[in-house]
Amino acid sequence: MVKIVTDSVSDLPPQLAKELGIAVVPLYLHFGTESYRDNVDLTTEEFYDKLAKSRIFPATSAAGPGIWVEVFTRLATETSEILVVTAGSRLSASYESALQAKTMVKTDCRIEVVDSTSGIGGEMLLVLLASKLARKGANLEEVSNSVKKAAPGVHVLVSFDTLEYLRRGGRIGRAQALLGSLLRVNPLIGLKNGEVYPYGRARNRAQAMDFLVNFVKGFPRIDSIAVEDATTPDEREVLAQKLKQIVPEERIYQTKVSPAVGAHVGPHALGVSVLEAIE
Amino acid sequence: MKQLAVATGQDLREMFSAGAAWLEKGAPDIDAINVFPVPDGDTGTNMVLTMRSTMEEAFRAPDRSASAVIKAMAYGALMGARGNSGVILSQILRGLAKGLEGKESFTANDLAQALTVASQTAYAGLSRPVEGTILTVIRDVAKAAEAAAKENPEDLAAVVEALVNAAKESVAETPLLLPVLREAGVVDAGGQGLYNLLEGVSRYLKGETDATPFRKPQIIASTVPLIPKVISLTAEVEEPYGYCTEFLIEGQRLNPDRIRKRLEVKGQSLIVVGDESNVRVHIHTFDPGVVLRYATSLGVLHQVKVQNMDDQHREYLEMQKERLPTIDIAVVAVALGEGMKEVFRSLGVAAVVSGGQTMNPSVRELLQAVESVPSNKVILLPNNKNIILTASQVGPLTSKQVTVVPTKTMPQGIAALLSFGYEKALEENAQTMSEATAAIKTVEVTRAVRTTQIRGLSIKKGQFIAVVDDEDLVAAGDDMAAVIFQALDKVGMETIEVMTLYYGAGTKPEDAEAIAQEIGNKYPGKQMELISGGQPHYDFIISLE
Repeated sequence: MVKIVTDSVSDLPPQLAKELGIAVVPLYLHFGTESYRDNVDLTTEEFYDKLAKSRIFPATSAAGPGIWVEVFTRLATETSEILVVTAGSRLSASYESALQAKTMVKTDCRIEVVDSTSGIGGEMLLVLLASKLARKGANLEEVSNSVKKAAPGVHVLVSFDTLEYLRRGGRIGRAQALLGSLLRVNPLIGLKNGEVYPYGRARNRAQAMDFLVNFVKGFPRIDSIAVEDATTPDEREVLAQKLKQIVPEERIYQTKVSPAVGAHVGPHALGVSVLEAIE
Repeated sequence: MKQLAVATGQDLREMFSAGAAWLEKGAPDIDAINVFPVPDGDTGTNMVLTMRSTMEEAFRAPDRSASAVIKAMAYGALMGARGNSGVILSQILRGLAKGLEGKESFTANDLAQALTVASQTAYAGLSRPVEGTILTVIRDVAKAAEAAAKENPEDLAAVVEALVNAAKESVAETPLLLPVLREAGVVDAGGQGLYNLLEGVSRYLKGETDATPFRKPQIIASTVPLIPKVISLTAEVEEPYGYCTEFLIEGQRLNPDRIRKRLEVKGQSLIVVGDESNVRVHIHTFDPGVVLRYATSLGVLHQVKVQNMDDQHREYLEMQKERLPTIDIAVVAVALGEGMKEVFRSLGVAAVVSGGQTMNPSVRELLQAVESVPSNKVILLPNNKNIILTASQVGPLTSKQVTVVPTKTMPQGIAALLSFGYEKALEENAQTMSEATAAIKTVEVTRAVRTTQIRGLSIKKGQFIAVVDDEDLVAAGDDMAAVIFQALDKVGMETIEVMTLYYGAGTKPEDAEAIAQEIGNKYPGKQMELISGGQPHYDFIISLE
C-alpha cells in the first residue's frame, strides 16, 4: 500500500494521522534559542499559552532534508511506495526539503513528492484524499495524479483578529492591502494556488463567520470540508454546525491549527477549507 | 604566515569553524535584509543554525582525513538544515564532500574542482533554481576558484581570497537578477550569508581572525541603483499651483526691495535677488501676464520662463504612478475632516478628495483624482447627496472605467468600502457596495442655522438637530445627548449590531468620550467605537450597522 507522508502544516489531528497510518513530519518552532517540534514537543494549547507569556515573537522553519531522509529510510522498510504531500512551495521550504531528500535516499522504495499549493485544512483535505485512495489500493502514480488533479480545487479562507503575526512571519503577500484599518475589523484572507490573497473585511466575529459560511456556499460541488480554530473550539463547533446544512457531517473534518501555523495566524483565527468534487 | 599548499581534515575544521563564527557575527544584519523567497527575516539565523549542526558533526568525524571531515560536515548540515538558505547550504556542503571524496588532504585545485561539484549539486537539488540568490553566488565562486587555482596552485589562501572577492561582486549584483531585491533595496540575504562564511574562512587562512576581534562582516552594497518602493500613494488632490514664473530684468537703478514689495501680493514663493542693473525674479502666480507687464516697465527681460505647475504636478504623479504597483480596482472617495480621511485611507482608498457638505468638489478635482490612481478601473464614492451628480460627470471625461456608488454620507461610504471584495470584478463590486450602503443608517448631529418649523418640530437657531441618512430631521433640542438618544430611538436599535461614533472638529475628545459612555450604557451588548473624525459642522456622525 502507498504510504502517505505530510508535514505538520497540514494540521492533521495526531489521532487521525495515527488511525490512518499517515506519517507527519513536524516543522520547527523557535522562541529565540528554544526550538520545538511542531505538535510533538508542544501542543497548540501549550503554544498559545506560551505565546501569551512570551516577549519573543516565535519563528518557524521547515524540517531539513536530513529529517526527511530519516523518515523515508524508516518507511522504506515497510513499504515500496511513498507519496508526500507538502505545504505550498511558495509558503514553506518543506517541498524543496522533501524533494532533495528523495534524491538522497538509497532505497528501491519509490517516492513521489507533491506540492499541495495550499496549507492547513486545504493541505489536510488533499492528504486525506491521498490516504483514501491508497487504502482503496491505488498505486503511487494513481494517488499522485489524483492529488495533483484535485489541488487546484482546494480553497482556504481564514478570519483573523489581527494580521500582525502573518505580517511578521512574512507571509502576508497581497493581503497586506487589509493591514492598517482604523476601524475594528476582522480581515478575511484566502489561500489559493499557493498564494495568500485579500478576501474582505468583516465588522465583527459573527459577521466573519457568515463570510466563512457564504464562502462554502459558493461552491456547487463539494467533496469535503475542514474547519479549524486556533483558540476558540466553541466557535469552531458553531461553524461546523452551520456547515452541516451544506455538506453531510461525515465529510466535515474538525481540527486545530498546529503551533507552527499558530505562529503565523495568531490567536482567534478561524478557518474553513473546501475540496471541490471532481467530475 | 607560511603559505598553505595542502590542507588536511583538521585544517578544514578550523577553516569552517572560523567561517561559521564570522557568519554568526553578521547574522542579525542578514536577517534584516531577508526578502526572498519569503520575507520572514530569518536567513541569517537559519544559516547559523545549519552551520552549528555542521560543525558539531565535523568534530565527530571518524578520522582526520579531509574526506571524512567534509563528509561528516555534509551530514551535519543535512540534519540541521533550516530554511531555504540552510537547505541550499547543505547541498553545497554535500557537493564539496562529493568533490573531495577519498582525499586524505586537498590542494587549491582539488578545492576548486570540489566547489564546481558543489555548485552543480546546489542547482540540481532545486525544482526551480532562481538566479540572483545564493545559487548564483556559489556558481561565480566556483568559476573564480578554478581560475585562481590555475594561477596559484600552491597557495590556498590566495585562491580563497580570490573566490571571496568573486562572491562579493556576485552578491552586489544579485538585485540585477532578482527584481524583488531591487524593489526592496537589498542584496540577497542567502548570498550574503555564503559570502560571510567564505570571508570567515579567508580571514582564518590569512591569519586575521585574532587580530581584529571587534570587527564584524559588512553587508555588501548593491552595484545596481536601488529603486525604493513607494509604499503609500500620494494621490491626494492638491490645491492648484498656477505658473512658476522666472526671469532676469536688466535695467538701470533697479531697486530689488521695491520690486519684492510690489510682487509680494501677486503670488507665492517669491524670490527677488540682484543689484541696480540685474534683478532675478522667481514667483508662483496665477497670472504671469501681470507680473511680466510690470517687469517690462522696469527694463529688458532675459531668460523668461513660465511653466504650468499643474502640468508639472501631473507629470510628477504620472511618474510616480509608473513606479507604483498597479492595483486592479482603485477606490476614490470624497471626505471631509482629517480623521475621516484617515479612516478612508486606512481601508485602502487610493485617493481622497476634500469635500462634503457646503464644500462640494468640482468635476475637475474628481477627475484629477481618478486620473492619478494607478488603475484603469475606478470606483467613486461621493459620500454626499450633492456630490453624486458631480461624480457622475467624471466617467465620460476619462478613458478609465469609472463607476459611481451613490453614497450619501461618509458612513455609507465606509460601509461600501468595508464590503469591497478584492477578488471581484468592477461591476460586481459596485453592486455589493451599493447593497452594503442600504444596510446602514447614518445619524448626523449639527446645530440649526436658523429658527424654523419642520414636521412639527420647532427648532431654534443654534439648537442641536439630528438628521438621519441626510434626509429626515428627526430630533431637535438644547441637550446634545438627548437629541442623539431621540434620533437613535427613531432609527430603532433592535437590529443594530455595530455603532461607530465619529466626533467632529468642534467637539472636545473628553465630551465625546462622555457621550459615548452614555450611549454605551443605554445600549449594552452593542459593539461601539469612538473615532476622531475631525469633520467641520457636525458634532457627531454616527454610523449604525
